[in-house]
Amino acid sequence: MTNRSVLRMVARSALLFVLPMVARAQRLLVPMDDSQSDHLKAYGLTYHAIKAGASAEWLLNYRGGSFLLADTPEIRREAGLDGVTYEPVNDSRLADIRSEIAANNMESVPLEKAPRIAVYTPPDALPWDDAVTLALKYAGIEYTPLYDDEVEHGDLTKYDWLHLHHEDFTGELNKFYLAYREAPWFVDLVQKNTAAAHRLGFANMPALKKDVAEKIREFVERGGFLFAMCGATETLDLAIAAHNVDIADTYIDGTPMDPNADAKMDWSKTFAFRNAHLEMSPFVSSMSDIDGHQVNVPGRRQPLGTFTLFNFSAKFDPVASMLVQDHRAVINDFYGVTTSFNKSVLKPGVTILANEEGAPWVKYIHGDYGKGTWTFYGGHDPEDPQHGIGDQPTDLSLHKNSPGYRLILNNVLFPAAKKKPLKT
Amino acid sequence: MEGRGHGGRLVSTRLVFAHLFAVAMLCPLTTRLFAQGDTISFYKALDLEASGKYRDAAPLYRASLHSAASVNALLGLERVYAELGWTDSLVAPLDTLIAADPREETYRTVQLRTLQSLARGADLQRAFDRWVHDMPNSPAPYREYARLLLDKNQTASADSVLALAGKALGTTRDLQLEIAQARAAEGQWLESAHAWREALIAGDYFAQAAAYALAPTPPSSRPAIRDIFLAPPIEVGPRRALADLEATWGSPADGWTALRDLPADSAAADAWGEFATRAEADEQWAIARSALVSMLRWRRTPDVSIRAATAALNAGDPAAALQLAPLADAKGDSAVAARMYLPIHARALAALGRAADAEQLVAAYDRFLAPGERDALARTVAWGWVRKGDMTHARAALAAAGASGDSSDAAGWLALYDGNLKTARTLLRGGTESSPELALALGLIARLKADSAPAIGHAFLTLAKGDTAAAVTAFTAAAANTPTVRSLLLATAAHLLAVQHKDADAVALWTRILDGDPTAPEAPGAELELARALRRQGNAAGAQSHLEHLILTYPESALLPQARRELELLKSTIPPAG
Repeated sequence: MTNRSVLRMVARSALLFVLPMVARAQRLLVPMDDSQSDHLKAYGLTYHAIKAGASAEWLLNYRGGSFLLADTPEIRREAGLDGVTYEPVNDSRLADIRSEIAANNMESVPLEKAPRIAVYTPPDALPWDDAVTLALKYAGIEYTPLYDDEVEHGDLTKYDWLHLHHEDFTGELNKFYLAYREAPWFVDLVQKNTAAAHRLGFANMPALKKDVAEKIREFVERGGFLFAMCGATETLDLAIAAHNVDIADTYIDGTPMDPNADAKMDWSKTFAFRNAHLEMSPFVSSMSDIDGHQVNVPGRRQPLGTFTLFNFSAKFDPVASMLVQDHRAVINDFYGVTTSFNKSVLKPGVTILANEEGAPWVKYIHGDYGKGTWTFYGGHDPEDPQHGIGDQPTDLSLHKNSPGYRLILNNVLFPAAKKKPLKT
Repeated sequence: MEGRGHGGRLVSTRLVFAHLFAVAMLCPLTTRLFAQGDTISFYKALDLEASGKYRDAAPLYRASLHSAASVNALLGLERVYAELGWTDSLVAPLDTLIAADPREETYRTVQLRTLQSLARGADLQRAFDRWVHDMPNSPAPYREYARLLLDKNQTASADSVLALAGKALGTTRDLQLEIAQARAAEGQWLESAHAWREALIAGDYFAQAAAYALAPTPPSSRPAIRDIFLAPPIEVGPRRALADLEATWGSPADGWTALRDLPADSAAADAWGEFATRAEADEQWAIARSALVSMLRWRRTPDVSIRAATAALNAGDPAAALQLAPLADAKGDSAVAARMYLPIHARALAALGRAADAEQLVAAYDRFLAPGERDALARTVAWGWVRKGDMTHARAALAAAGASGDSSDAAGWLALYDGNLKTARTLLRGGTESSPELALALGLIARLKADSAPAIGHAFLTLAKGDTAAAVTAFTAAAANTPTVRSLLLATAAHLLAVQHKDADAVALWTRILDGDPTAPEAPGAELELARALRRQGNAAGAQSHLEHLILTYPESALLPQARRELELLKSTIPPAG
């Protein structure tokens, strides 16, 4: 037995001995396994507990990634109103739980500070067409919507956590121009974005969006937490890599795309991807070969399967563990403008959180960047696998146990975790 | 946000239609076989296949390949080989058959199917090329090959084949069905709808297939789809497809809009009849009546006029029922009038409050009635008197029904109106009627231990007479004297007020329940309704407070999901309904 193993064993024994004396107060265990009646609201309950200054712990891998909260009348009331299942836990039971955690691939992570949340979304957007705002709204977690004006004016510094969803940061509006150029919503989108570019001193949409992408990159570099879904994942990195390259066609910025754009991309500052190839045709509704599913290109579209969450060591890799806490390990896949990420274009060091067995793509990835972190989750809406423009919004009260939505809310909560000294 | 459509959802639909096509293909060939008469081997093979003896059927089908039944034998062989996993054994016989008769389309189609199921892509392409070469002016090779590719979800390849057909044949007129499917799979809904329209004009039996294919059209594109199918000239096929589509999209009433303008002919009558049958099954009586009335425009039959009258009656329009199935339609045959038309007329007259007319009419046909029919009609007449609140005549009518009248639902209601709970309890519990009023009455008398409650009987009678305001007063007055069911009586009165949009008065009664009987079974319901009324009045804070109180105070209530949903909507944490 190594010295480290001996020390760990002694520490655990000491912990077991001390805890019953310290943890006198009764706690509320919010189980996150199948006994939980509303998994999504449980995140809101925990977020509010942290925000109110109550003690909270995330019990990684314990009963689906349960939460242990202080037993206060306010928390009981909110749980009752929201239909969140909880179990009062006395000292003896708590000692048993801690003992079980110590002996298995589990960990208790204190949650201390509720992150300040911002969502990059157009000012007039409703929350119902973005999975993250849907989840935040349903869980009752407050967020601040911000868009190009706020980012350009430096407002990102006010927040800890930033979410991106729909945006095409290359400024090409997801190449929807050919299909939707006469649709009222699209005409409105073009007008508003062009006006914003001119108002903020940029020649056109691509120039504005590239600058916004750069400011988001700097936000993460300074220590921010970034979470992106759907097309925002792919286009954010493309915009960063194309900082000095014209990758937009004439119909967007009035000048043709640089014919050597593919070779000129600079991947050194991107978050997740490298050596991807741009889709050069303006007639093909795809940005690059980053996405494995290519849903909007009929000849290339790949069918949906399931993706599997990786099981990390809770004690040695708590961040990745937090991001994959779920009561299901295998989850049905869902399309988005970007559904998945081809393995061949991932940068070394990217942590794969979920993949589809046997497929050349992965679904859910994470990494450190400067002092911050980023997480990309492919797809648009975990409970509407083939969501299309104009479809009815998802009503999360009908999907309160959604394992796919849980992954989103894991991301909201993990910045609240107290940073522990590394054990390795 | 995605721009694509729902192509993936079409896979199973395509498979279904592939089978339908196979069946459709079989039918004319079978007819040909019977016309020619054929080998005993073939019939034996069919029997063996039907009993699951595929191994025994195979050699007999093979033996029939070169007989007059060759086409059917080949299809049989294809089926049993597929069951046995011997599809590769079909390749050689197919080559021989095609060499002997290169223009037989079924051989070529089976060959394409076989090579595709064996995943022999290069051979498949060659077989297709050979077919095109041998029959350069036929759309069949393109059609069959495109269908196979669509079945495999290879939309882009199918598209290429269809484009090739356009070039080679100079037209894709005969391939509109495949083009429609390909466009739908690509999410090009409008283009698909245009092609479906063309295909449906050629064959309106594709209406259901079109509805399946276009069902995933996003709401934003649906108006344009409607425009395409509703555009002149008016054709039955596209209109039927649109009616099916509207039903799939959750609006059968709009489906009727698609069909109502059809010029009356046999095809339109079929479409109306199909629509009416579906509406009747769904108890959509108003649109069922409209469809049946349209059918009557084309051909008047007793069956359709009776159905139309019944639909009108069920839709709450008894006056129309009398007109739709006039007694004159019986053409002087009193027995027919008594059997088919009299029950409708008696019901309609009773519903109109014309109990005396109903009674007279039944009496006029009395000698044509069987005992069971007479009793049923007597109960209908009694019900008509009950609706008028004329207890004396109601009793007399029931007496005419004999023993069956004494044990009828109507007798149970009469007992209740008299305040005779003991009899009402027995008769209403064993009754055949089902209505909200009955549920209320049963709930009430089950909770009352007493055998007599004249005040409650009076309240129900007032309600039956249609005097809602007086009924509210009567239920409220009865509540004061019967504490065991006070909250239920007050809740009933409050419900009557709410239906009349008298929220303020209803709120007062719900508040009385909550204040006076907070542990009564009606308390959660009263609080939910109170919260809803406050929300309607714009008092969101008051509504939220009551919803939260309900959830926390009655955690075991069956109304909790509704209360939570109301709370979510109030706090805008979920998308607004609709």
